[in-house]
Amino acid sequence: MADPYKVLGVSPSATDEEVKDAYRKLAKKYHPDQYADSPLAELAGEKMKEINEAYDTIVAQRKNRTAGGYASAGGYGHVRGSGRSGFSDVRSYIMAGRIADAEQLLNGVPVESRNAEWYFLKGSVLYRRGWLEEAKEHFTRACQMDPGNPEYQAALNQAMNQRSGVYGGYNPNMNTNVGGCNTCDVCNSLICADCCCECMGGDLIPCC
Amino acid sequence: MFGYVRPFKGELLVKEYDAYKGVYCQLCRAIGDHYGALARLALSYDCTFYALLALNQKNASVRAEKKRCTCNLMKKCTYVCPANGDGYSEACFHKAAALCVIMTVHKLRDNIEDESFFKGLAARLLCGLSGRAMKKASADYPFMAEAVQRMMDAQHAAEHAERVSIDACSAPTAELLETLCQELGETEADKAVLGQLGYFLGRWVYIMDAADDLPEDLRKKNFNPFVEKLGLSAYLGGDLPQEQRDAADRECNAVLNGSLARMRPAVNLLPEGEFTGIIENILNLGLPEMQREILFLHIKEKKHGRSV
Repeated sequence: MADPYKVLGVSPSATDEEVKDAYRKLAKKYHPDQYADSPLAELAGEKMKEINEAYDTIVAQRKNRTAGGYASAGGYGHVRGSGRSGFSDVRSYIMAGRIADAEQLLNGVPVESRNAEWYFLKGSVLYRRGWLEEAKEHFTRACQMDPGNPEYQAALNQAMNQRSGVYGGYNPNMNTNVGGCNTCDVCNSLICADCCCECMGGDLIPCC
Repeated sequence: MFGYVRPFKGELLVKEYDAYKGVYCQLCRAIGDHYGALARLALSYDCTFYALLALNQKNASVRAEKKRCTCNLMKKCTYVCPANGDGYSEACFHKAAALCVIMTVHKLRDNIEDESFFKGLAARLLCGLSGRAMKKASADYPFMAEAVQRMMDAQHAAEHAERVSIDACSAPTAELLETLCQELGETEADKAVLGQLGYFLGRWVYIMDAADDLPEDLRKKNFNPFVEKLGLSAYLGGDLPQEQRDAADRECNAVLNGSLARMRPAVNLLPEGEFTGIIENILNLGLPEMQREILFLHIKEKKHGRSV
């Protein structure tokens, strides 16, 4: 394995705090949440594993504490295998990264039997191809046809968050685009956290 | 490419600013050396970014050197030159120089098609003069010329399709940059990262250009994908009312943010090199700043004295 200090980009003389700081920065950079449905998820996962191992090694070497932070960089994405799905073959293609095959199957479905799930899956295919606007329209349609579905809602929420500038870009409601955190950020983050909780079955803000 | 891919100066380190300028100057020199003095007019910020990306990919060996400016003999500039005998960095500048020439000539040809005879006269003249440079650049990097030609054809098809969509219209430019960036990588993993970066950068550039041109395209009744998306065809031939203008700017900004969000993973996975700081500055700060300047501050219009 590579020198764990080199992996984290700190010198061996760095304090525990500095090591932790470097680890946190890198962990944030490669956190799987950012790579949802990105073809680069696997690469980021490898990086994450590398820095996790490096951090664990350093901590073990220094015999201070056990490692905290992110346990593993498991796959994360909108599309999951689902027992009750009418499109299980499409789902398995998408999960395997065979986007063209998935799209071909989807396009073969006659217009009258295109349900909410069809729109969601087509949206996922478009999203992966980088056709973000049409993906958003398909997610919206899926949510309209099946309003209570957390899977479709999570996909739409992410598309909307990306457009709002949460994941980079320019947010006109913010006074500055260089760092800082204002009240608007706080609300946005809370709403985001609430959405995340809700799609996992919990609830952070009971009123929304 | 259209000059939207620039660093955010306020957040650059002084040494990074110097390095950026040095690469810009060296690219100007490389264009002159390979394609003649006139071709220097094709120099652009976008191609400087391409040179930086290429140099950073393999930690090219470069050194700073003070020389006279190629355009202003009174001025001395610091160039970031390829170190003696470093073929890789030489190739980076050569490639970026060829890209400048090819992109500019295609842009000129595009203008000739769009404009009336007299307005297109200047473009026609330049196009004729640049024929040799274009031929040489295409021969040096055939994959580049092919990719640009493919982009032009696909663009034409997308703009004349029955159903116009932002995604379909931006795809040719996105795929062009995907090809160009991918070519810089060596391993499969590098190519995957660079390909994603290129795709969403190209998408961003096309959409930024479309958003920037929207008011003028409406006035002149030119094609613009946002006209259909935002349902603005009623305003063709005139000015947008302030309220619609603001709404359009916000919508364009949201579409651009979407592209940047998808580009971020690839930016994080770029290799650490001499120019990583500048590249991250350009992509993470420079592009959002461009959105702010064009869509919210309307800097260009203020420069031209038009009221906002």
